[in-house]
Amino acid sequence: MPGVFGPTANILTKLVLYTLLAGLITLAGGAWFFPNTSYATRVGIAQPQPVPFSHEHHVGGLGLDCRYCHTSVEVSATAGLPPTHTCMTCHSQIWTNAELLAPVRQSLATGTPIRWNRVNALPDYVFFNHGIHVAKGVACTTCHGPVDGMPLTWKGASLRMSWCLDCHRDPAPNLRPKEAVFDMDWKPTAATPSGEQLMARYHIHPETLSDCSVCHR
Amino acid sequence: MTARKELAERIEGRLAGRSGRSLWRSLDELAREPAVLEMLRAEFPGLPDLAEARVGRRRLLELMGASFALAGLTGCGPGEAAGEAADQAIPYVTTPPGLVPGVARHVATAISRGGYADGVLVVQQMGRPVQLEGNPDHPASLGALDPIIQAGILDLYDPDRSRSVLKAGRAASTNGMLKALVDRLPALAANGGGGLRLLTGTVTSPTLARQVAALKRRFPAMQWHRWEADGRDTLRAGSVLAFGRPVDTLLHLDRAKTILAIESDFLDGAPGHLRYARDFARRRRAAGEGRPEEMSRLYAIESSPTLAGARADHRFAVRPNEIEAAVRALAAELGAGPAEWRRNAPGWLAAVARDLSASRSTALVHAGPAQPPAVHALVHAINDALGAPGQTVTYIEPVEADPVDHGDSLKGLVADMAAGRVDTLLTLGANPVFTAPADLDFAGALAKVPLSVHLGTAPDETAMLCTWHVPEAHELERWGDLRAFDGTVTIQQPQTRPLWGGWSPQELLAVLDGETRPDGHAIVRATWMERFQGKGDADGMWTDALRLGIVPDSAAAPLSVSLLPGLADRLPPPPASIPASTGGGTLTALFRPDPWLRDGRYANLGWLQELPRPFTTLTWDNALLIAPATAERLGLKNEDVVELRSAAGTLRAPVWRLAGHAPDCVTLPFGFGRRVVGRVGRDVGFDAFPLRRLDQLWQLPGVELRKTGETHRLAATQHHQMIDSPDAVRHATLDAFRRDPGFARSEEPEHSLYPPYEYPRNAWGMAISLDACIGCNACTAACQGENNIAVVGKEEVLRNRQMHWIRIDTWYEGEAAAPEQTLFQPMTCMHCENAPCEVVCPVAATMHDADGLNVMVYNRCVGTRFCSNNCPYKVRRFNYFNYAADDNRLPMSWNPDVSVRARGVMEKCTYCVQRIRNARIAADRENRPIRDGEVKTACQQACPAEAIVFGDLNDPDSAVSRRKASPLDYGVLTDLNTRPRTTYQARLRNPNPELGEA
Repeated sequence: MPGVFGPTANILTKLVLYTLLAGLITLAGGAWFFPNTSYATRVGIAQPQPVPFSHEHHVGGLGLDCRYCHTSVEVSATAGLPPTHTCMTCHSQIWTNAELLAPVRQSLATGTPIRWNRVNALPDYVFFNHGIHVAKGVACTTCHGPVDGMPLTWKGASLRMSWCLDCHRDPAPNLRPKEAVFDMDWKPTAATPSGEQLMARYHIHPETLSDCSVCHR
Repeated sequence: MTARKELAERIEGRLAGRSGRSLWRSLDELAREPAVLEMLRAEFPGLPDLAEARVGRRRLLELMGASFALAGLTGCGPGEAAGEAADQAIPYVTTPPGLVPGVARHVATAISRGGYADGVLVVQQMGRPVQLEGNPDHPASLGALDPIIQAGILDLYDPDRSRSVLKAGRAASTNGMLKALVDRLPALAANGGGGLRLLTGTVTSPTLARQVAALKRRFPAMQWHRWEADGRDTLRAGSVLAFGRPVDTLLHLDRAKTILAIESDFLDGAPGHLRYARDFARRRRAAGEGRPEEMSRLYAIESSPTLAGARADHRFAVRPNEIEAAVRALAAELGAGPAEWRRNAPGWLAAVARDLSASRSTALVHAGPAQPPAVHALVHAINDALGAPGQTVTYIEPVEADPVDHGDSLKGLVADMAAGRVDTLLTLGANPVFTAPADLDFAGALAKVPLSVHLGTAPDETAMLCTWHVPEAHELERWGDLRAFDGTVTIQQPQTRPLWGGWSPQELLAVLDGETRPDGHAIVRATWMERFQGKGDADGMWTDALRLGIVPDSAAAPLSVSLLPGLADRLPPPPASIPASTGGGTLTALFRPDPWLRDGRYANLGWLQELPRPFTTLTWDNALLIAPATAERLGLKNEDVVELRSAAGTLRAPVWRLAGHAPDCVTLPFGFGRRVVGRVGRDVGFDAFPLRRLDQLWQLPGVELRKTGETHRLAATQHHQMIDSPDAVRHATLDAFRRDPGFARSEEPEHSLYPPYEYPRNAWGMAISLDACIGCNACTAACQGENNIAVVGKEEVLRNRQMHWIRIDTWYEGEAAAPEQTLFQPMTCMHCENAPCEVVCPVAATMHDADGLNVMVYNRCVGTRFCSNNCPYKVRRFNYFNYAADDNRLPMSWNPDVSVRARGVMEKCTYCVQRIRNARIAADRENRPIRDGEVKTACQQACPAEAIVFGDLNDPDSAVSRRKASPLDYGVLTDLNTRPRTTYQARLRNPNPELGEA
């Protein structure tokens, strides 16, 4: 009677076992790393827009202040998207016939808002407030990335909870003087107060910043 | 060992507290029914019954496997899929001036209740009304709001509201309706408006009054009829009897030391009741705040329990016809009536009379609208004899425009309609087909009117029977004006464009006046420009009035009236004294409005349907209320369906036994049983109107009661979420408090195995004064609106699953027939320092935060319900189903600052953490501490009695710290070492020593 297991049985068994193990490790690793990939977080992926608005041109090139368009960033939870009217303050004078701006003119003429595709979105159970971050010296670029270099806007950071918490637990490295919050090219100098000094100056209490109720209500 | 012994002793002590004069919450609890004791023990009573649909082990594994797989799938894919509407950002084309996205705006306006204004501030988010708050500058609100007005926001977004013109109940065009009206005008002009009739509820609007006056000049024969089923005819008639002219009476409870309430609605229904509640509560709290001489004393005489009766130091439950006899006797005692009225006076009367008399001009007597005109006339005479006018009461010109007797007015209209003398009937905002007395047969007469137009916010009974129905714009969608109880005018401004079109009453009247494209704004503005003319900058005054929510100095001036002589001879004869108990089933039926639905107009509002009624705690139903002794005599239990027979007709109603109800009479709350109504109000309760007769609007003697043998389940919440503590409410008389100021305090151990928490910034806490609480439920309604609390429906309430984060526990002390005390205790999450819920949560979904809040993290919650099971206060609520998603209210009506909870998630009071966070952000932006009073919880804001105070315990000068420093301060169930952050201040009573402790 021939043996139940042939000469290759051992090697086959090992192969199967190792493949399974490798598969499991890959899966687990994938599950760990996938949410952090830019495919999942959309970081660095430019969103198509009905009007290809370029921050690179308007901010980097022309030097517009963030608050010219995002008017409520200092006082409200939302930074505010500019109404069509804001676009037309300039574009009723320049590039008045540009093909690219047809949707903007259309919007003003018909009273229909432009529907932009969201770049930064938070889930409904997160209650984020722009005003307080700006007031405490968290700069626009800290979260939104080098906006002045974005021809089409992309997400500057993952906006995942762990990313939020990194800063809420240890805000010092991400702070700068309030005056420089809207500065695109700010670099700390020798005279710049340290993060710890800024925390004291702005009364930032990290021991209370990681409470669930800070963001979830 | 000693610790264990100590514990055993404590438990025994608590059990011992149950015997003797103990507190009870329901007649069943008093009778120690086993079912109630089970409710007391279990957090989820009835849960085993639900296991009928048993899930086996295999099936459970299958389901778990499937749900894990599905849960895994949702984690895949990119964070946001581009292109979907939810992932679009849509800015304005032109931002409206003054609007900042994400920042709430408060806009002043007013909402009417029974025709009278309650000032509100509408909270708007990006131009959309999301919430109503009281307007602190408005005399009838002072910042508080009752549940009905709060539900106005739900009313605005009610998807069952009228959306198009109806012709004979079918959708039709607006132009058709306009043509029908305009075509009628020449004929009306020819005969002077002979067949033209107008029917409204109580009208206080100066603009409507001006328009009607103008119409009357154009059509001199036109008539204006009024009908308010829940109206105040008797008060008007009483003042005519006493003074020979109608007047409105304003109460000054802040000046009243001794008060007699005769089935009075000054705490729950009278115009101005929020103001009255505040004034009353301030004097009641005075003793606990160190000014015992200011504490007022309240007597109540009533048949059907009222909130004022519950707060009375002495409450006398008497049969309805004995009330007038008692008031006559009182008048005689005080020299305001002939001595023979003193015959057969009840024993307690002389003592009450002496007390009132001793207080002289700080005494006050008030009677409710269900009392006959004679009682009101006598009340005027008594107040006059006491010297109250000018002190505790003032008289003003009636706030109602062109006041008439509503009963006579409606009777005249129906007679003319039946006789064919009416060819055009305009009904503005009233629903007489449902609410008119049954003996008038309004519907039958209406059929004889060739052109009837009905204006209403929802298609109702009257809309279906009129030739035309016109959708009415909600009060938050249109221009208008209203007067408050004291005459103060508010100009109503629209908060949003009409969601589904709609006309204002002013606009529809303008059509009759020949305008084809009426403009509500212009009409209202014209009234006020005319009045402001010559007083300075009229445009500026208009803007100021809109901004403030009141027209400054528009309150009515006090009126000097004097009692006409010979009142005793002018009074109608007193009712025949009734035999005490006939032994049979012949009873007197009392008609009273449901506290929330009033005459039925609010029947489609889920918040109000599910808000427990005071005393009965009934939701989603009305019931025939009967005294326990009378019920026993007739062999009736709760939920038994009885048939009521009288000459007027018959009706069937379920029974609810109510402690403190007068014997030999039953209360029939009307407003339920609407026949044509939206999805929420359909098939809810029974309609009591069919027994109501024009000449017997408030009480109907000689009603036969017969048991049918059927039962009807009633969703009462009184046995739900019962806490197991014999001394949850603490109280004492003023004298006992003077002897032992610390009677309410309990010394409790403060041991903990856990290290103590530190609160570097704020430590939030709450104090609730039982001395102030009047049991009105405004807090529960406010919480529901603020915190997006779901409405669950009757079936779910029956399963103990209502979601209210704050409930009012009602406790009684004494006999079932006449409880000596009714105590209300608002009960909500205590935010314990040693929270029992926190330690049992396996996923850390309920946490202590750095301000001492016990927070709920909905996203972590997996629904084990361990926390709820471990909570001795029973204040946690579990979402058994996706209640919020099943609600048919419009999505934009939810509060955007608060998460809407999903199925399988536990929730509870958060101390309005969203308000704390917004205040914190505002303060931190300015680098300053949060000011005391800057954070107001929704319940605190709505409370008319200022019973709830919230603030920072780290600040010894904060209002809450001062409240908690009171000797009356105590915590509930502190023997469990929970160290609750919400504490209570015990109730004090101020009984008359002459009447003994009772």
